[in-house]
Amino acid sequence: MKSLINVNVASFSEAVTAAQAAQQQGQAVAFSGGGSDLLQQIKDGTDPADVVINLRSIPDGRVIRSDGSGIAIGGLVTLTELSQDPLVLSGLSAIAQAAESVGTPQIRNVGTVAGNITQRPWCWYYRNGFNCFKAGGNECFSVNGENGQHAIFGGGPSFIVHPSDVAPALVAFDAVFQVTGPNGDREISAEDFFVLPITNPERENTLGENELLTGVRIPTVSANTVSTYHKIMDREAWTHAEVGVAAVIQRDGNEVQNAKVVLAGVAPIPWRVQAVENFLSGQQISEALAREAGEMGIQDAQPLSNNSHKLPMVTAAIERAILNLAAG
Amino acid sequence: MSEFTREGLEPLATIGNDTPRIDAIERVTGQAKYTRDWKLPGMLYAKVLRSPHPHARIVSIDTSAAEALPGVRTVISYENEQVVWGAGSVNGGRQYNDPTKDATIHRRYIFNNPVRFVGDSIAAVAAIDRHVAEEALALIEVEYEELPFVLEPEEALEEGAPRVYAEGNLCPDFRGEFSPMVTDIGDFEAGFEEADQIFEERYETGFIHNAQMEPRCSLAHWEGDKLVLYTPSQGISNCRHDTARDLGLEDHQVQVIAKYMGGGFGNKNQNQDADLIAATLSRRSGAPVMLEYSRREDWLGVHGRWPTVQYYKIGVKDDGEVTAMQMRGYSGMGPYRKNSGGISGMDAYACPNRYREIHPVYTNRTTSGNFRAPSEPHGFYGVENMMDEVAYRIGMDPVEFTLKNMRRPTEQQQFTNYSLEEVIQDGAERFNWQARRRVVPGSDEGPIKRGAGFSFMMFRAGVGTSSAIVRVNASEEYTLYVGVTDIGPGAKTTMGMIAAEALGVPLSQVEVVWGDTDRCPYSVGESGSRTTIMTGIAVVEAAEDLKRQIADRGMPLGSDVLIASASPIPTTDGMTRQCFGAHFVEIEVDTRIGSTRILKYTAVHESGRIINPSTARDQIRGATIQGIGQALYEDLLYDPDSGQPLTPGYYRARHLTHKDIPDIDVHFIEVDDGYGPFGAKTTGESGIILAPAAVANAVANAIGKRMTSLPITRDKILGAMS
Repeated sequence: MKSLINVNVASFSEAVTAAQAAQQQGQAVAFSGGGSDLLQQIKDGTDPADVVINLRSIPDGRVIRSDGSGIAIGGLVTLTELSQDPLVLSGLSAIAQAAESVGTPQIRNVGTVAGNITQRPWCWYYRNGFNCFKAGGNECFSVNGENGQHAIFGGGPSFIVHPSDVAPALVAFDAVFQVTGPNGDREISAEDFFVLPITNPERENTLGENELLTGVRIPTVSANTVSTYHKIMDREAWTHAEVGVAAVIQRDGNEVQNAKVVLAGVAPIPWRVQAVENFLSGQQISEALAREAGEMGIQDAQPLSNNSHKLPMVTAAIERAILNLAAG
Repeated sequence: MSEFTREGLEPLATIGNDTPRIDAIERVTGQAKYTRDWKLPGMLYAKVLRSPHPHARIVSIDTSAAEALPGVRTVISYENEQVVWGAGSVNGGRQYNDPTKDATIHRRYIFNNPVRFVGDSIAAVAAIDRHVAEEALALIEVEYEELPFVLEPEEALEEGAPRVYAEGNLCPDFRGEFSPMVTDIGDFEAGFEEADQIFEERYETGFIHNAQMEPRCSLAHWEGDKLVLYTPSQGISNCRHDTARDLGLEDHQVQVIAKYMGGGFGNKNQNQDADLIAATLSRRSGAPVMLEYSRREDWLGVHGRWPTVQYYKIGVKDDGEVTAMQMRGYSGMGPYRKNSGGISGMDAYACPNRYREIHPVYTNRTTSGNFRAPSEPHGFYGVENMMDEVAYRIGMDPVEFTLKNMRRPTEQQQFTNYSLEEVIQDGAERFNWQARRRVVPGSDEGPIKRGAGFSFMMFRAGVGTSSAIVRVNASEEYTLYVGVTDIGPGAKTTMGMIAAEALGVPLSQVEVVWGDTDRCPYSVGESGSRTTIMTGIAVVEAAEDLKRQIADRGMPLGSDVLIASASPIPTTDGMTRQCFGAHFVEIEVDTRIGSTRILKYTAVHESGRIINPSTARDQIRGATIQGIGQALYEDLLYDPDSGQPLTPGYYRARHLTHKDIPDIDVHFIEVDDGYGPFGAKTTGESGIILAPAAVANAVANAIGKRMTSLPITRDKILGAMS
């Protein structure tokens, strides 16, 4: 393994300053939360970092608190903490379930909210060192290759799927992401944070140079909100979503007033299925409704040569997620 | 749950009691010293440079910058070290010995040019630490001329396919002739004439890595012209002999030490290229050299189970009697023939007309080699899915169909004992086969479908030669010297138990010395499920001898000791000796998302008398888990355009986690056939043979579609259902 410089910082602004300083010396920089994935990427040579800026030394980045406008989740909160937090468990089930479905207990104990949201794709071409879009090249090798795990929505020119389980749940809850960078702090909606490869095939989000995600704010949810995260995996643990569905519904009895349905594992970003959301609004939850919603969920799908099996999976996953949210 | 049926067997004092492994405390407290834990003064660390291409000729290599890096002691490459790794490629894929080494046409060297798969080794560096060694690798400049490559065994035999060797892609047999392996019994064409119906199908299976916890690792150092090798070997005696032969030494000039190892499942048989590379670097640098492979190197650089394609044709009468069996098979060996490429299973049937033609084929994938029952799980999957399909197509219960057609003792070929029918009947009863299987496959209403599958096997449990030494001192302390290393089945403990039983003393009075060729006599090597039987027989014989000495001369006095050794040559009096097993699985398939869940798993085995019930049971469980992984999950995908492997490692190859593993009920029917130590037979490999066949049969029974390709991933299930 190559030699690294580790920089411990006491605040997010200090992290940005340290990153800028290293960059000015021609060094590649990476911010590290849990580091569980980052260090492996550096060892594998798929991340070029010379300097690792360790954020775990920031004292106040690891707090979940409620204020008048909602719940604020620090970027350094671990996935274990997120999945067990009483505030999250009581009102934000989909987020707790998504966090609990990630990897293994070991990974969840170190992996952070911000790290999970900003982790790089797990496409086997990218991770095996192919010079693809994600590595700065200008090709997506999955198009004519092994694409069983790749995107059926929003693909092109890169067909990665976004690896996060937590992100779709956050999008479904209208979360706002807090970002710090050389130009100060900014806030951006979770939905606008992620970018399709048609806009930027190299990155998955809008983070600029030396910017980092510091926290997440969830606006207050109404008392009639229910939510779930339904994840289909290739085994019971330690794997990413083949298909995931985060569904957040405001309901009156069994009538849906408003719905957010966001998919994981099927698109280069957390993928909102607005057709399904619109369809559900004003309807009574029933098996027939759920089934129709599931079928609607794949209307715009464009499978590749080896991933059309994801279509029935999306249909079933949406259907099951909605039925999970039926009253009683 | 596990049970032991011991009808008619006299209970013994030590054998047959659940016994903790004698090295358990060391292992679980971290005191056990594995190869990578050893530290020798002045030790260097090595790294290997590997080919990034599936097939290429190296035009030039420049190691000067690497040599100039501070901390680097030695750089070697294919240019200056042409050491043959004899066990790495053998004509016919047979056990490596002197004549086969000389006869082998396509040799594997520790470094190769041309390189023939992604991961083929080219050069190695020894440096003061791992990081310097790794940095040095990056400084080696290699110019490649890329060559066309081929990944699939059938394609490799097509006209005009890229050639891995000039002679073509069919591997040479042990005589050096380029012809397939043929078994031709009876007259299969006449058998098809007799048949009322004929069924044909193509099956395929994937590359499965052994995936043992401990990657290959070797620490070499020279004491004058003697090589001391610390290496996690499954067979220290074979490793010593192979290493001596490859390096031009006598056996006594090599000492192999393997005190503790983290598994092998067949891939630490013989010696490893890591042993030879470490030894060569050590000789050049004059310092001890530690070479430890990364997980990725271990996965791609050495070997796993061969992928196969199997075409079956079965002739059957309306009453269910099989009249002819024909199979044409292709085994992808990678570019070196490390093992046979065998596809077993047809031999378990009595059909008098059987024709089998297996083509072991060179490709530019990772090498294939030994993995727990090397020829069996993929072969039993193929033939027993074919036969299961035939049974349902002619309207028979597969168990009935098996009982009608399975191999039984004949006058010409008798067995030391035969329990196959009992094992199958017992399993069917315990599992409640009649209630769980769907007479009409796929007949469950709704998307969640259940079904049951079954498979059976017999597997070698032959006897053979190994050695043991037993000593007793005046304090009546016994010491047993056996050359075992324990790849997991608990050989250290079972050998101690056998000795204690034969000596008539408690196990606590027997110290076992293992894992060092300078201290222990020849042991057969923990492969082929032979150790319990062969080394066990030697232990019994040495113990009997020692008891006679004690009876004749009394216990030794003062500093005297009595010593007995044995290297018996046992036989089974012309009879075949087999272990037997049957597995029954109930599975649930969610046909909307293509997922599978095993609801019940029953394994019934007859492995003779069981020495240590707890480790025997876990052998069956562990092997079954591997078999389920092969059936449902594991594979090594390659990118067809670039020839690059995409899914090496535990995460990508999707090995089962504890959460994925079902309860596995294990039942042993114990017998003593009068051969083997106290009647013990084979256990280690037998459990892995049946799971792929039984699980795939269960899926077919649940969904009504035959799954002809392993692993049975959700895309295949959803494809079949759509």
